[in-house]
Amino acid sequence: MIHRNKLVLGDKDLKDITEDICAPIEAYPSKGWLGLLTGALSILIFYVIILGIVIGKGIGLLGVNHPNAWGTMIVTFVFWIGIGHAGTLISAILFLFRQKWRTSVARTAEAMTVFAVMTAGLFPLLHTGRPWLDYWLFPYPNQRGPLWVNFRSPLLWDVFAVSTYATVSMVFWYVGLIPDFATIKDRAKNKIRRTVYGALSLGWRGTAKNWSHYEMLYLLLAGLSTPLVLSVHTIVSFDFAVSSLPGWHTTIFPPYFVAGAIFSGFAMVVTLMTLVRIGVPEFKNYITIDHMEVMNKIIMSTGLMVGYAYGSEFFIAWYSGNPYEKYVFFVSRAFGPYAWSYWTMITCNVLIPQVFWFKKARRSIPIMFVVSIFVNIGMWFERFVITITSLHRDFLPANWGNYAWSFYDGAILFGSFGMFLTLFLLYLRFFPAISIAEIKPVLPVGRESKGGTNG
Amino acid sequence: MAKHGPGGIAGIWLDEHTVVKAAAKTRESGFVKFDAITPYPVHGMEEACGIKRSWIPYVTFGAGAVGLLSGLWLTWWTSAVDWPINVGGKPFFSLPAFIPVIFELTILFAALTSVGALFYVTKIPRLDPPNIDPDLTSHKFAIFIPENDIGYDESKIERFFKENGAVEVKKMAEY
Amino acid sequence: MSENNHEHMHEHSESELSAELAAKKAARPQIERNNTHWLTLEHYNNDPEFMKKAETEFQSSPLRESESEGGWARREFLKLMGASLAMSAAGCIRRPVQKIVPYNKQPEEVTLGVANYYASTYFDGNEGLGVLVKTREGRPIKIEGNPKFPMNKGGLSVRAQSSILSLYDPERLQGPKHNIFNEKRSNKDTVSIKWDGLDDKVVAQLKKGGAVVLTGNVASPSTRAVISDFAQAFKADHVSWEPLANEEIREGQRASYGEAVVPQYRFDKAKMIVSIDADFLGTWLNPTTFGAQFAAGRRDPKKLSKLVSFDSTYSLTGGNADIRVKIKPSQQLDVVMGLINVLVVNKNLSAYANNEKFKDSLVSYANTAQKLGIEPALFTKVATDLWENKGQSLVVAGGLQTLTSRSAELQIAVNFLNSLLENEGKTVDGKNGNPGLKASYAELEKLIKEMNAGKVKTLIIHRVNPMYALPKEAGFAEALKKVDMVVYTGDRIDETGEHATYLAPDNHPLETWGDAEFAKDIFAIQQPAIRPLYDTRSFQLSLMTWAYLANVGPKRLITFETFYDYLRNFWKEEIQPKAAKGKAFEDFWAEVLQNGYVGDLDHSTAARSFKSEAFAAIKPASNRSGFELALYPTVQHGDGSSANNSWQQELPDPVTKIVWDNYVCVSIATAEKYHLKQSTVVELKVGDKKVELPVHIQPGLHDDVLAVAVGYGRTRAGRVADGVGQNMFEFASFAGGPVFAGQEASFTKTTKKYNLASVAGNNSMEGRMIVAEATLKDYMKNEHAGVHRHKTWSIWSGHQYNGHKWGMSVDLNTCTGCSACMTACQSENNISVVGKTYVLQGREMHWMRVDRYYVGNPADALAVFQPVMCQHCDNAPCETVCPVLATVHSDEGLNEMVYNRCVGTRYCANNCPYKVRRFNWFNYAKLIEKPMHMALNPDVTVRPRGVMEKCSFCVQRIKEAKNKAKLEDRKLKDGDVKTACQIACPTQAIIFGDLNDPESQVAKIFKDEPRSYALLEEWHAAPSVRYLSKIRNNDKETPAAEKGGH
Repeated sequence: MIHRNKLVLGDKDLKDITEDICAPIEAYPSKGWLGLLTGALSILIFYVIILGIVIGKGIGLLGVNHPNAWGTMIVTFVFWIGIGHAGTLISAILFLFRQKWRTSVARTAEAMTVFAVMTAGLFPLLHTGRPWLDYWLFPYPNQRGPLWVNFRSPLLWDVFAVSTYATVSMVFWYVGLIPDFATIKDRAKNKIRRTVYGALSLGWRGTAKNWSHYEMLYLLLAGLSTPLVLSVHTIVSFDFAVSSLPGWHTTIFPPYFVAGAIFSGFAMVVTLMTLVRIGVPEFKNYITIDHMEVMNKIIMSTGLMVGYAYGSEFFIAWYSGNPYEKYVFFVSRAFGPYAWSYWTMITCNVLIPQVFWFKKARRSIPIMFVVSIFVNIGMWFERFVITITSLHRDFLPANWGNYAWSFYDGAILFGSFGMFLTLFLLYLRFFPAISIAEIKPVLPVGRESKGGTNG
Repeated sequence: MAKHGPGGIAGIWLDEHTVVKAAAKTRESGFVKFDAITPYPVHGMEEACGIKRSWIPYVTFGAGAVGLLSGLWLTWWTSAVDWPINVGGKPFFSLPAFIPVIFELTILFAALTSVGALFYVTKIPRLDPPNIDPDLTSHKFAIFIPENDIGYDESKIERFFKENGAVEVKKMAEY
Repeated sequence: MSENNHEHMHEHSESELSAELAAKKAARPQIERNNTHWLTLEHYNNDPEFMKKAETEFQSSPLRESESEGGWARREFLKLMGASLAMSAAGCIRRPVQKIVPYNKQPEEVTLGVANYYASTYFDGNEGLGVLVKTREGRPIKIEGNPKFPMNKGGLSVRAQSSILSLYDPERLQGPKHNIFNEKRSNKDTVSIKWDGLDDKVVAQLKKGGAVVLTGNVASPSTRAVISDFAQAFKADHVSWEPLANEEIREGQRASYGEAVVPQYRFDKAKMIVSIDADFLGTWLNPTTFGAQFAAGRRDPKKLSKLVSFDSTYSLTGGNADIRVKIKPSQQLDVVMGLINVLVVNKNLSAYANNEKFKDSLVSYANTAQKLGIEPALFTKVATDLWENKGQSLVVAGGLQTLTSRSAELQIAVNFLNSLLENEGKTVDGKNGNPGLKASYAELEKLIKEMNAGKVKTLIIHRVNPMYALPKEAGFAEALKKVDMVVYTGDRIDETGEHATYLAPDNHPLETWGDAEFAKDIFAIQQPAIRPLYDTRSFQLSLMTWAYLANVGPKRLITFETFYDYLRNFWKEEIQPKAAKGKAFEDFWAEVLQNGYVGDLDHSTAARSFKSEAFAAIKPASNRSGFELALYPTVQHGDGSSANNSWQQELPDPVTKIVWDNYVCVSIATAEKYHLKQSTVVELKVGDKKVELPVHIQPGLHDDVLAVAVGYGRTRAGRVADGVGQNMFEFASFAGGPVFAGQEASFTKTTKKYNLASVAGNNSMEGRMIVAEATLKDYMKNEHAGVHRHKTWSIWSGHQYNGHKWGMSVDLNTCTGCSACMTACQSENNISVVGKTYVLQGREMHWMRVDRYYVGNPADALAVFQPVMCQHCDNAPCETVCPVLATVHSDEGLNEMVYNRCVGTRYCANNCPYKVRRFNWFNYAKLIEKPMHMALNPDVTVRPRGVMEKCSFCVQRIKEAKNKAKLEDRKLKDGDVKTACQIACPTQAIIFGDLNDPESQVAKIFKDEPRSYALLEEWHAAPSVRYLSKIRNNDKETPAAEKGGH
């Protein structure tokens, strides 16, 4: 049995684990947390107001125009959806691969997924001209005499993909939470907490029979989520790839988008984990530098994949000999009015992550934090580049036109973070941020002294 | 409130390995209806208690199949039968374009039904069930033998538990 | 007829009823209104000053009811339709019965939901057009060309179509007004008065004598009669003046042939056309008619005419030229003389070839080609082409751009050249010009002197706006102060109106009777299509009333109680004898009302002989350097009199594609030299006049030219036009004949920046085959020249279209880019105006746009124009991506947009390769201000916020035609369905029809026309629109390198 670093530091026993993880939930909220929450909440409120105005007055308040009929909202939608993917990846795919190190980060990563998808889900709904009619996108029986939806439209695929993804990842997450809720319930001193978590735990008792079914289900959900998560970003990429617009109409998009999603997702996980480590120092024993390093490796490799995708787009544009596509890549994207966004993307996504070739950088919290932020920025711009630089100059030059930036574009992007962070902070406070029932079995890993059978 | 289940006797352990051994012993001594309660899935417990492989996967597969077919039917019936309409010069039944939707429905059905199955088999949700010891969800382990099991004899079992390293033995009116 | 009578009697009583009804509702509730012509969203909240106005708005009129429910209003309108028939001249005391007869192709009585068309006329001071007024339930909703009319032949100009809006302009005067002046004779207060009150005052004043009637060109013979009768009655003078007068032409004609006329030019008879700054396709005289005539020579490339344009601004004519030579105004004369020199001296042609003295007079023009900086060979070719087409060529010069200090010489030279080329009497018809074009700056100058001398006691100003369109140096303002009483008949208190003592608002042309003579012996009728909306009175009736009350003047002036009677009598006495001898007048009259005109354009005319002594007036060539100013009118605004019209303001300039502004056009080289960017603000100086204007960098402009459009910078026109651009009439020099071009100008760069809203995304086609173009030589070799074909195939058979399959073709060779189609579409389909701010953001709504690309080297770029509307693709990319099936394909091949179903994802717009889809970013429809809503076409949905919209191939017209065919129990035949753009197109470049009908014009084009191609064919969206390649007749051949390509 090869030597492994401990997955849990500081010689904890089962009781300690329970106590460490439950501490933030049972203790009185710290000043830091309250401060962060107020900040996040105020951004959220601002966000709600902005969205209210946009819905009230019209989507025209944003920079969207002719020919750039899609803008910030769609860009940010893809951005958040992408973020979500890392969560599922960690919780499902790494689970299938029996990557035990995942256990300590899985819960939070999943939480991130759920919140990211919630944040993202708003955009396709609100960017329509008449959001109050969005329900028309669902194929429900109606009395408008045969009237159905268009199953050929990638947007409709989106509706199904995103809603399925949201549902399944939420269920997956919740199933994982059930035993931990039971733990909290049993530890509960006051009545309310006992009732609330009692209800959440659904009366879970953890008998051997239950555990055997439970583990099986967990495995199945992981197995289902894996193709699902891949399909979701594939379908999101279809929104572009299936259209006939040069710069969108590209077969490389599905893998390219999935890689990008994992890339940005892991960056976000790193960002959040560094924050969690700061916020709850006790968690450093569970979310160790080793965990972070592994994720940084993934960031670097997916970064390279994305870089490869950028390159091959150019190659294909040249190789296809399609003048419109050539123009999009060789003229308007790299050197056009939006070249700045293109080069920002390249710098943030391809160049900067290269620092992770060095172990020092991989294991330094400050460095990885900065890099992860850059990657997040870069990935937002990737979606911007794809959406706008393809739209703003297409077939007939007479239609060309630039995106008409407005205050609302920035406000909506900024506000969406308020929503995400609020949810995330509440989660840190009220949910066990690390899976108690999952971390315990991996306790012995790397502890030869105690005859740990796992490994 | 209705009786949750038969009463019985429960032993409590502090260590993962001993409880597994104890469970195995319990089984050897002929008990069949007993069950072990642990804070997390303990490796080797299934074998020790002789629990069969879960049947949920079959449910998942069935549900998946149903999802797939209903997806296929929905897309076909709405676009080609109930309201055939010329969209972008494409065939009424444009199967390739329908695959994503069909796929998503398959996953959705499979996932949700499986969870339903778990709820069914583990009899949750259940309001505030009797609890042998609150620490059983944290760091203690237990084995419970219901009174209606073959050869149920309190004093015997109590001794048996103690011999196998139980730190405590509890009598339960119901569990 | 008798039946008719009966009917109209009935309508008569109806009208009285409604009049009463109106009177009852005197105490009207205040209408809730909001700015229509908002420039920014913020800007559309009601301003208090304006709400105040709203209270005094709308006296008894059809509008009153329109405040209540829409349906109600329409019913009320049905009644008033009767009224509109019954009452021609409103305001008079009694309301006699008069008959106007609907256009004969239309049902005679009003049926709900069925449009009535009334033949009428439109005159903007220069251009005269025969029109059909489309009315629904008694309200005019659209103006179309009268296809029978011998001049415009169904085509219509942008402004004529937009004039429907001016009828419903909420800022029109609602009744007579009195301006109370302070001691400085500037306006203190304006009060409403009654007509009889006004009449008493005016008559009293008129009796004092010294009256002058100042009008624009008067095309109406009967109005001319009224005016002369009136003049006779009060010993008054009649002065006519227009900002765009054609004096130089008349004077030139007088000097050359002895009679001061504006000739009838026949571009249809010309194979070789040379235009020296005469923008005959855009703004000069009768552009619509000329366009139609010009197209005759372009339709068949095998018999292609040739247009050479010497252009000092980038005019629409220059944009359509086969050969365009950029010049500066001071070179106009050189061009003509140079051509004469080539013919007479170099080529020894014509009788003058052996007239040495004459030849000597040309010496200074010997090296014109070098002066213009073009190949002498090219210049010579132009001259010889003219000669080879003797009698079938045409040289024209005129318009503001030619009003240099040497405009008189230019005209004489042009006339001489035309005579030399034996065009006189053939393509230049001196006998049949428009007798109405009498406007004269000289006369105006005289008038101003008299006013200053205090000789003018009463000045009646009609249909001109001197306070706006005259430079200050003309001193009209001061002179006006010396006039005791100024009576203004304008429809608003505009720049002139605010200085008038009394405002006696004239009816809108759509509300009043009239007639017109646009070419000698073509008499057209102007029928009212609706009863006057407000308490206005026709100008003619005002004159008659005043004479009647003073009881002076010829019998006919004071006996008739309405102008209608006067008119009828006039036609009986004066016109019928000329036009239709020996016909019963009633029949003649009915026929005229139905057709809208009598007479014909073609008369045999003898050539007039050129007075060679006139030639002596022409001085030797002068050499000038430095910047020259060139002022020009625009297609959308003309002289700016109708500028308060949002359709005109939002119509992109056909060449620059800029909306809502005027600007200084500078050449690319100049811009580089002085580091000017698009939209840099410069201070333009001419003499001591200064103005700050943004720069527009104009390819193909002469480096020494600074070109600026007139017709902007209105100050009292209304909320739409006020403060849009700068008033460049101020820069015309006035004394001793107007000068609009060639003045020495200079500019200084400022640090300011002013955004110009252009709808042209890019000026170049980037080497893509978008407008397929070939030279005539190429075409003669290969009829497919310039069209790069692709092999496209599909993996499945596709849907079948049995029954109809609609398609359209656009001939880029006849399309002149005049943009009339855009306005037609806007009017037909209730398309919103969004204002400059949103055009800047790329939010313009036009369903049909005319793309303009420059080709060739930028310094002297040629232009191509391409109308682009929804291509109704069989494999419509937009349909596939709509999640809710809001845009789907009909079984007649239409790409249908279902507004109610649209959720507004805008995916369709992204996926449309032609980007023809427009989105309602805000609730534009809500901003339609009353009574503007009456101009809406009830057949077309007004789109709410958040839905996509686009060209529908005028599906409502298809439906209408089908119903009509059904009622007449026959099959739909080719030509039954005409789209709005097709009808408006002066050159008939647009053809619409059924592709499944092998006999239809459009089907033939799709099948057999070698020039036809589908836009972006290789994308295989399979559009239902075909473009016909443009053929340029420039003696060149496309080098193989440039051939084909995408």
